Amino acid sequence: MPRAIWSGSISFGMVTIPVKLFGATESKDIRFNLLHATCGSKLQQKRWCPTDEVEVPWNETARGYEFSKGQYVVLTEEDFEQLPLPSKHTIELNAFVEEQEIDPVFYEKSYYLEPAERAEKPYALLLRALEEKKLSATASITIRKKEQLCVLRAHNGTIMLETLFYPDEVRQEPGVDLDKVKVSERELDMAYTLIELLKKPFDASEYRDNYREALAQVIEAKLEGKQVVSAPPTRDTGVIDLAEALKRSVEAAKKGGKPKTPARARPRPARRRTRKVG
Amino acid sequence: MTEAGDVLAQLEERKSRLVLKVGKHDLAVTNLDKALWPGTSRATPITKRDLLRYMTRVSPWLLPHLAGRPLFVTRYPDGVTGKSFYQKHWVDPPAYARNISIYSSHNDGDGDYLICENLATLLWLSQMAGLELHPWFSRIDAGPDVRGRSRKFSGSEATLDKSVLNFPDFVVFDLDPYEYSGRENKGEEPELHRRAFKRTRELALRLRELLAGLGLETFVKTSGRTGLHLYLPILRKFDYDAARGIAETIGRYALQKWPDDVTLEWSVERRTGKIFFDYNQNSRGKSLASIFSPRRHVLGTVSMPVDWDRLEEIYPTDFTLRTVPDLLEDRGDPWAEILSTKQDLAVMLEERTA
Repeated sequence: MPRAIWSGSISFGMVTIPVKLFGATESKDIRFNLLHATCGSKLQQKRWCPTDEVEVPWNETARGYEFSKGQYVVLTEEDFEQLPLPSKHTIELNAFVEEQEIDPVFYEKSYYLEPAERAEKPYALLLRALEEKKLSATASITIRKKEQLCVLRAHNGTIMLETLFYPDEVRQEPGVDLDKVKVSERELDMAYTLIELLKKPFDASEYRDNYREALAQVIEAKLEGKQVVSAPPTRDTGVIDLAEALKRSVEAAKKGGKPKTPARARPRPARRRTRKVG
Repeated sequence: MTEAGDVLAQLEERKSRLVLKVGKHDLAVTNLDKALWPGTSRATPITKRDLLRYMTRVSPWLLPHLAGRPLFVTRYPDGVTGKSFYQKHWVDPPAYARNISIYSSHNDGDGDYLICENLATLLWLSQMAGLELHPWFSRIDAGPDVRGRSRKFSGSEATLDKSVLNFPDFVVFDLDPYEYSGRENKGEEPELHRRAFKRTRELALRLRELLAGLGLETFVKTSGRTGLHLYLPILRKFDYDAARGIAETIGRYALQKWPDDVTLEWSVERRTGKIFFDYNQNSRGKSLASIFSPRRHVLGTVSMPVDWDRLEEIYPTDFTLRTVPDLLEDRGDPWAEILSTKQDLAVMLEERTA
């Protein structure tokens, strides 16, 4: 089971339903690392200041909002800390709507909602009600400190939560003027025939990411043919099995293989100690 | 009225000194309106009265975690911005404070150690501005996991080595980000900041998954300063040396797996930019700040246990002397199970290795 990314409760009239949220989708794109072609080392990103011509450490960075070309307002950690935070742990249902009313352009990301322990009963009740009434519930939820509009709907015996874009996040239609375009009856008939020919129920399992599969095959083939580039060893990367290693460490301690009080015998910077104290 | 409720009512009296009745004990408290935390432009100061209130309110959750464990305390007589000192031994503690004689190699003899088992002792420590509570990972109590081990702690190092106090209940990992915010003075430890904390949180989640892969459950709390503390509760079958060996092995494994994030380096310069995985607290006589213990931070942050599935939403400054009592009363203690979770590492290792 993947980790719940959020836990809290659905608030529905007088009823509170403790739930956990799990991502319903995941990207399966094959990811690449950028290497130095001549030696095979993984490249590191460095922050470079073109004015001072130096690499910039994190502690010298600031977050700026570009309000006009090349001009920034700088926001500090304090500014972010002062922002008001909406309620973190409730999904407040505010209206029930028909699913078709929500245009698919608004859908952002899908999650599964699962009842927390002992919340199966109210969860089942809400699910059943949504199924019977064929309605979806609109609500708001705060995920990772961002309040989002969302919709709860019944799907294959589970309540799904779909986050929605806010209206101002959806771009305007380009508004092409098609009124003057003339289409003949014959052309339309041909289009209808073609559509009828290709009409069938939607089955997601028929579709695959052909590009990804082809890419995976190329990688596979390169591995088979041992066309493998390895980075020059920068540190000891021998793989150890953790359980074996733990057992060895325990056995060493039992035999008194380790010094009795290594913490005291070891060099230790004095500052470390004062920090623990404070 | 409960003992705690009774104390809270007495603290309402706006005098700067009071004699508190804590159960059947009398405790004189003074300088109640002295600011121990100076406050900031956005937060009012936190006074000794506030500290006493806080300790009283969290005591039902805190005391079980202190029971049976020798306790060291960091005192801040002039508040968190003043000088502090680490106190291990006490001369003439009050009758309600439990005292126990333990051999100390540092003293080359026996010393008196404090065990905090009741509200009166806790408030007595607060009266002395003993803000930070550092209980041992081992305790003096008998139990089926330490059957046959002695409960004699004084006389010699060898006696103490053989006693139950040499067998900790937890293996602990202290994750400390060494990314500087840029606001530190030269030579100071890194201050709390979001990016570093986020990385620490992510590392903690990966460590949790790693240990879950071995069938082990870990618990996490904020340190109350910049990092996180992970506790792995175990049956007391391994002594401190073995516990430290286990923590070190896990640290080395983490370093190998995530070399860009983890460091085990002693030198502060070489730690910079990474998260210091400190396994060395797994030693007898060492300790980390207890859960709910206030820490040295102007906002009055405390070390707070956190549910793993809420870890990504929290930030250390969410948890202060002002916020934690209400949070506990609303949601309960995320570590309520830790004292009864006893994992048998010996059996796990036998099963997982051929």
